Amino acid sequence: MTIVVSICAIILAAAIVIGLIRVLTARDQGSRAVVSDLIYFSSIAIVTMLGIAVSSSIVIDVVFLASMVGILATIALARILTRGHR
Amino acid sequence: MNETLATVLVGIFGITGSLLLLASALAMFRVRDALSRINVFSPATGLGMPLIVAAAYVFDLHSAGFSWSSLLMAVVAVLCLIIVSSVASNTLARSTVLSGQPVYRKTNPNRLAHPPAGVVDVDPDVDVDPDVDEG
Repeated sequence: MTIVVSICAIILAAAIVIGLIRVLTARDQGSRAVVSDLIYFSSIAIVTMLGIAVSSSIVIDVVFLASMVGILATIALARILTRGHR
Repeated sequence: MNETLATVLVGIFGITGSLLLLASALAMFRVRDALSRINVFSPATGLGMPLIVAAAYVFDLHSAGFSWSSLLMAVVAVLCLIIVSSVASNTLARSTVLSGQPVYRKTNPNRLAHPPAGVVDVDPDVDVDPDVDEG
């Protein structure tokens, strides 16, 4: 189980690093918002894999709450892009 | 559920979901504008994260046994990821267009570049002749 979880975490860490490089090289703000959303979901997946690795009993709760409040970050970034207008 | 089956299922679901997230991150380099990036982001939230949730549920089933509350939380998490993320992506795409982010110039067909048929698009920067009724 540990090996499988480590492989998943390495793949997700690679996704986060690639996303950060994309944020650095992006020229428009919309791309940065989208890639930061991708980094958010990748980090949630890493936290889930960490919970599996330490045999935590709240793995489902973590991913449930994170998927429910994940919309807030995206909506906030959308409002920032339009300077507060709807 | 024995140890081997749980490990294999967690591996299949987890590695497939992680690879989908990685593929989505790589696709951010292949496309050229923010709207296309929102488009290629949807495999990560629509299929990758539900597979991660499936891996977490299989692990929970293996470690703590079956319970209706975990099944309900897993199902609601998958539904939230599919529905709520679609709404969030729609909102982000709308604000991207409204804030005037550039669209890749070779996009074809690009219906955002021209007004729809039947719409009179008056350019406010052009001085109109005051004698002519604009209608």
